[in-house]
Amino acid sequence: MSASVAISVTVNGVHYEKTVEPRILLSDFIRQDLGLTGTHVGCEHGVCGACTILFDGEAVRSCIMLAVQADGHDLRTVEGLAGPAGELNPLQNAFRQAHGLQCGFCTPGFLMTLTAFLRDNPAPTDAELREALSSNLCRCTGYHHIVEAAQVASRSTVP
Amino acid sequence: MPADPPYLRARVPRNEDARLLTGRALFVDDVQLPGMLHVAFVRSEHAHGRVTRVDAAAARARPGVRAVFTAADLGAYLKPGPILVPPPPIPNLVFNPCTQLPLATGKVRHAGEPIAMVVADSRYIAEDAIRDVVVDIDPIEAVVDLEKALAPGAPLIHEHLGSNVAAHVLQRKGDYAAAKKNADLIVRRRFHYDRGVSAPIENRAVAVDWNAKSEEMTIWDTTQAPIPIRNGLAAMLGLLQSQVNVIAPFVGGGFGPKIMMFYPEEVLLPWAAMRLNRPLKWTEDRQENFYATTQERGQVHDAEMALTRDGRILGVHDVFLFDTGAYDPYGLTIPINSQCTLLGPYDIPSYESEFTAVFTNKTIVTPVRGAGRQHGVFVSERLLDLSARELAIDRVEIRRRNLLAPDRFPVNHEIMFQDSAPLVYDSGDYLPALDQAAAIIGYDTFVREEQPKLRAAGRRVGIGVVCYVEGTGIGPYEGARVTVEPSGKVRCATGVGTQGQGHFTVFAQLVADVLGVDVEDVRVVTGDTREFHWGTGTFASRGAVVAGSACHAAATAVREKVVALASSVLNVPRERLELEGGRVFDRDARDRGISLGELSGKANPLRGAVRPGTEPGLEATAYFGPDRGSTASGVHAMIVEVDPETAMVEIKRYLVVHDCGTIINPMIVEGQIHGGVAQGIGNAFYEQLVYDDQGQLLNASFMDYLIPTATDVPPIETAHRETPSPYNPVGLKGVGEAGCIPTGALFAQAVEDALAGTGVEITEIPLSPNRLFELIEAARK
Amino acid sequence: MILSGTFTFEGPRARVWEILQDPDVLAKALPGTKTLTRVGDDRYQGVMKVSVGPVNAAEFAIDVELKDKVEPEAFAMQIEGKGSVGFTKGAATIALQEQPGPVTVMTYTSDVQIGGRIAAVGQRLLESVGKMMAKQALEALNKELKARLNP
Repeated sequence: MSASVAISVTVNGVHYEKTVEPRILLSDFIRQDLGLTGTHVGCEHGVCGACTILFDGEAVRSCIMLAVQADGHDLRTVEGLAGPAGELNPLQNAFRQAHGLQCGFCTPGFLMTLTAFLRDNPAPTDAELREALSSNLCRCTGYHHIVEAAQVASRSTVP
Repeated sequence: MPADPPYLRARVPRNEDARLLTGRALFVDDVQLPGMLHVAFVRSEHAHGRVTRVDAAAARARPGVRAVFTAADLGAYLKPGPILVPPPPIPNLVFNPCTQLPLATGKVRHAGEPIAMVVADSRYIAEDAIRDVVVDIDPIEAVVDLEKALAPGAPLIHEHLGSNVAAHVLQRKGDYAAAKKNADLIVRRRFHYDRGVSAPIENRAVAVDWNAKSEEMTIWDTTQAPIPIRNGLAAMLGLLQSQVNVIAPFVGGGFGPKIMMFYPEEVLLPWAAMRLNRPLKWTEDRQENFYATTQERGQVHDAEMALTRDGRILGVHDVFLFDTGAYDPYGLTIPINSQCTLLGPYDIPSYESEFTAVFTNKTIVTPVRGAGRQHGVFVSERLLDLSARELAIDRVEIRRRNLLAPDRFPVNHEIMFQDSAPLVYDSGDYLPALDQAAAIIGYDTFVREEQPKLRAAGRRVGIGVVCYVEGTGIGPYEGARVTVEPSGKVRCATGVGTQGQGHFTVFAQLVADVLGVDVEDVRVVTGDTREFHWGTGTFASRGAVVAGSACHAAATAVREKVVALASSVLNVPRERLELEGGRVFDRDARDRGISLGELSGKANPLRGAVRPGTEPGLEATAYFGPDRGSTASGVHAMIVEVDPETAMVEIKRYLVVHDCGTIINPMIVEGQIHGGVAQGIGNAFYEQLVYDDQGQLLNASFMDYLIPTATDVPPIETAHRETPSPYNPVGLKGVGEAGCIPTGALFAQAVEDALAGTGVEITEIPLSPNRLFELIEAARK
Repeated sequence: MILSGTFTFEGPRARVWEILQDPDVLAKALPGTKTLTRVGDDRYQGVMKVSVGPVNAAEFAIDVELKDKVEPEAFAMQIEGKGSVGFTKGAATIALQEQPGPVTVMTYTSDVQIGGRIAAVGQRLLESVGKMMAKQALEALNKELKARLNP
């Protein structure tokens, strides 16, 4: 068994210094060591996307990354999206208005995927959106309202 | 309910969304308690075999491992699970109950059956320790195919039975033999309908905290039925029901398997927690889910339909096999649903349906969204399509000719439904729904003009229209307690759990309408036995109907208390009092009123006396128990194009016209339909559990078991119709399963239409591009 | 899983037969073999490390029994493997035919059942990994054969 490693990570603007075993998954580190349970684990083999977070701004699947890989990097999770008093940001609000979530388990992953995608593609077509969203599985909504929510969010003028 | 309830049929955004969108919602795996230990299970690799040795010594010696339990350690606690749904009282019914043990001993009967439980400081260490446990199994030939399971000389899964028959049921009405004699056409086929896993994105999880000082057990469980779990576990553990609290917090999708009860993990963690005096948690991983969580498996039907030459159905005869997996704790709900749903919205005077439930060496089968209704619809819709072709009658027209007319309701079909009551359709109006679907999808124009043009250009396009009926909202009952608090906010507690259906909003809408308050001021609590402990659970499309009606009844009782008390406090006759904006007031003098919050204070006096026969506060508990379910129905239509080279199917349009009675929140109803359709598309075309002939599951991951993504599910058009149910005050019917029931039949019809002229006949589901390709090639030869 | 094919060894049949019965040679040639020891007449046991897709370096304890030996033309094998990620059970038949050269054409047919985790997630790859392992092994054996013929 390998010795623990000291890592230093910034998550949602907060700096953490922690010690982890090399084999600990990044998703488990975020959920258990940092107590940020908004990021969910659905498959642990990188397909469902529920564990999606932003890693230096890029959407990545935290269940197939190791915590030690995050050393020195800047992460963003679903807990970092809302305003300081818990106000929903335009993307989150669009999901609520369009009924883009049902059980909500896959939702943090979709929000993070869309945060990165809409930032880089501000005016996507439905086809482009569906292609981008095909990286995340949802079993409840059939994607219809998720696509609607994403369209509304993309047209929102508030950054 | 007021004359014009503001929240009924309103697209109200959900009360629960803010928490879910900001990562503040508690799911079971989020539960973290000081000193918590983590559990993992050693599971059988063989589908059938005799366990000759289980040696946990090396596992126990691993640093960080706190305990390893095998069947031998359970003592008297090692008992088979209960039969959850006793079979209905159908004459001559045969049922052989065989249920699972918490840990296998002697024999294993499906791959994944749990053999030992490891408790360790972390899930990582627990999984390391799984590999330390030595398990020797002498493999026995596995039984996987339904017909081979019944053949003489087949290996026996439950030896004491002398066969692999789990059940045999025959239901009939009318006189099929006579119908057959009088028929102008008999169409007969063999149909295969296979299913898959429910695959909610959240796997199952159980967390347990046994407080030895207060002698109270708290269990967080991803269950759809917290109350029966509490009652059952309390009995098993020798505790009072009130010593056990079961909480189903936010649950990430249920779809059926989370209402299988007394899973080994649910039964073992509380027992172990009492022994180890430490909080415990087990979270299933996705691969485990393919073995350890129940699924819905296959059926093979030999069915025939007898018709007149103008397409009127005289009778149907169906003999089928149903795969129940290695054990049958859930009784016969699924195949009886298949029997009943086959009748559909049609007038079928004679019907004979016979099934044999068969044990196989696969994971236990319990209902998955649709719960066997898919199979019945597939058989009847396919037989109608094939008859239409033989009789040269249009497919939509043949359905028109057979639909039950509105003046026939209530229709008693005489056979037994899953709730042990005769199958009765309470209300419905099927012809306008069919016509509306055909109109919206443009059926006539497509068939007469567009399709011939496209076909001439070499495009393989097809259209499908299928009908179905769904029994929903069955009993036994649910209850609710509504309380107006001094702040004026209202609390509504009910026993069902929520897995995404929007109960926190939908029930609030009903209560808000009755009490005249803002929907955001109604706080709904579900799935917590500390809050409400009478009821059953979420299944069979009954949440809104039964629990919703209970919430409505409790709110109505509170309203009566409000009016009675306000009448005396305000000195206004009851008939003049109105509830609106959180106040109760004289409708002829609107400022003569009082807020509900203030009134609740008056109802709970610090001095004076509460008069005999009255209760303090503005609170009431009510129950709703319908005698029978209410009948929802619908029509699905689809236009597809099949790529002639790859056999990929592209859905050009998908339409659902459905009737779920009175609608509380159209957005939520649409969401349920969209989700159901997506699962139906998966079931029809992408998802299949592939077992080899020794019961090994070959695709236990999302890499190889294909869940539809956003590029596989098209935008879904919906149209609502309402024929209110006469069985509850609001007229509600269920809609949770509507989207996925007829999808397989629809795929078969539309794709067969797209491939017209190739000789391809589709009598199986799932299809998959691969299988479709094989069928096309075979027809070519 | 059915794995079958032919392979041409560059040498006489008697020498090929020798090599196929030599556990030390087989241990070196079969990819991932850590140990392989003769434990009885026509019986070998050992440890192999196999990687199939996402399942890496999984250790298997293997037990091989040779039967129906018709020296030097044919024999059959019964294989059983057991590891923490799964199990395997199978049988193979091997026929050797000498042809001018001399070369020896080997024809093999095997039917192997694989179960457990490695089958559940590695299914798509099992056949290709199996073929690759067989190819690597046979080529290594052929190399050893040539070395022995031309020391």
